[in-house]
Amino acid sequence: MSRVVTLAARQALMEQRTFWRSAEYALFTFALPLALLLLIGSTTANGDLPGTHVEGQMIFVPSIIAFGVIVAAYVNLGAKLATLRHDGVLKRIRTTPLPASAYLAGVLGSTAATTLAITACIMAIGGFVFHAVPRASGLPEIAGGLILGVVCFGALGVALSSAARSAESAAPIANASYLPIAIMSGIFDPTFSVPRWLSAVVAVLPVRALAQILEQGYTPVEHASLADPFVLLAWTAAGCAFAAWRFRWH
Amino acid sequence: MNAIEVSALTMSYGDREVLRGVDFEVASGEVFCLLGPNGAGKTTTVEILEGFRQRTSGTVTVLGMDPQAQPTKLRERIGIVLQECGFPRQARVKELIDCWRSYYPSPRATSDLLSVVELNEDKNTQVRKLSGGQRRRLDLALALAGDPDLIFLDEPTTGFDPESRRRCWEAIENLRTLGKTVLLTTHYLDEAERLADRVAILRDGQIQVAGTVRHVARQAGVPTRISFTAPQRLRDGDLTVPAGLNVKVTGEQAVCLSACTASASVALRELLTWCAENDLGDLDDLSVITPTLEDAYLQLVAGGAR
Repeated sequence: MSRVVTLAARQALMEQRTFWRSAEYALFTFALPLALLLLIGSTTANGDLPGTHVEGQMIFVPSIIAFGVIVAAYVNLGAKLATLRHDGVLKRIRTTPLPASAYLAGVLGSTAATTLAITACIMAIGGFVFHAVPRASGLPEIAGGLILGVVCFGALGVALSSAARSAESAAPIANASYLPIAIMSGIFDPTFSVPRWLSAVVAVLPVRALAQILEQGYTPVEHASLADPFVLLAWTAAGCAFAAWRFRWH
Repeated sequence: MNAIEVSALTMSYGDREVLRGVDFEVASGEVFCLLGPNGAGKTTTVEILEGFRQRTSGTVTVLGMDPQAQPTKLRERIGIVLQECGFPRQARVKELIDCWRSYYPSPRATSDLLSVVELNEDKNTQVRKLSGGQRRRLDLALALAGDPDLIFLDEPTTGFDPESRRRCWEAIENLRTLGKTVLLTTHYLDEAERLADRVAILRDGQIQVAGTVRHVARQAGVPTRISFTAPQRLRDGDLTVPAGLNVKVTGEQAVCLSACTASASVALRELLTWCAENDLGDLDDLSVITPTLEDAYLQLVAGGAR
């Protein structure tokens, strides 16, 4: 067991090194959520959300943190694994005695590190530019949300890479699957309203669930749903099950 | 002790029978080459040996283990060079080798690996900047990272220029001197002839013939060819060659067709005796050409002699 952990840690380190070395890739992974944070954040009217005493930025900033998690763990990880499979890197890994669990844990660990760095940037900009600072007592929610979010969207990313028939199709599938949901979940606009039936659908999808957990870290929300962590866990299980069924090394 | 033992191995994909009772063995320290036309079942056989595929029936032992029962344990002791396998492009050569070494319980020294594949000067180069030949050598370095006892090489020199090919051959010969067992598949018969201690030809899911190149040639029945420039008197019909030698004269060239591999020296002695008896002096352009593996292979596979 300890050997698997050591191997996973080494793998994560290797993945991080190569991630930062491909500057373009790293830059744009960061650029997307940060650009949206600055662009949308600066056009969002300051003040309370209609009908509440909640500052709009206190919802918007954690929503963008959730968005960063999705981009790093779901879109990038899914597309990366699909590319590694296409290039035969996964096949090569398979020829070694490295346990599959150690490899995937390493890749996920590296994704977690990247996500953490993006989150730190979003929180810093959110604090300095939009004066949205998490509550001290909300840090466990943020930490818990990040862990659940990375694991859930990471599992979905692995599932996505298994579902994509080719490396080229992974990114379009990723974007087409999360972006509409993110918009309907009110990630970019907390006041975005959808029909009741659609809202019910969105509630059982992992995007809003993650955003709401993170929002808790910034401002206590009255409609706090205890179901959110379970929604994420359920999607984690679904992602793992699909990956176990369909993940291919070549 | 044998590194690989395969007996009565069969493999079916649905109704399609790909392997129909394959038997062969590879001794420890041997370079063994598996030949055969596309679709004969080479890849399937090798993948079963490597533990990637579950066989339908038969017994397979690789380094004393059943590959499908202990794939991870087995992979600690084998090295595999696959065709067209990518690298993480941003990794540096030495970094990647060290990463691979960490997967194995008793890896080979990094400096050793770098020098075996002649990548010492490029150890800090990113993989994406390496040439095709360098990448193939890195393939080999990664396969050797765990200091394996048995190495699988799948068409290791496909697409190589002659210089890279020669270097790869040297690296493989180097493995032999280290006492490693090598199982090679290739389409290049000269490669097999140069490197392999023994070859096996797989055809239609069965081993058609296995043994040394000489043995295979004998099995194929390709004769040793003795040829010389026909002396003037022979061409004019003043002289006849003993009928047993079955010499055929075409224009200036005479070819002795009777010499099968087993009796080539007998035929040659008889020819030279005849030559001396008739005062022909030296036979011009006398040459004895033993059949190449290619001749034997074509005879066995393309010639249709089952």
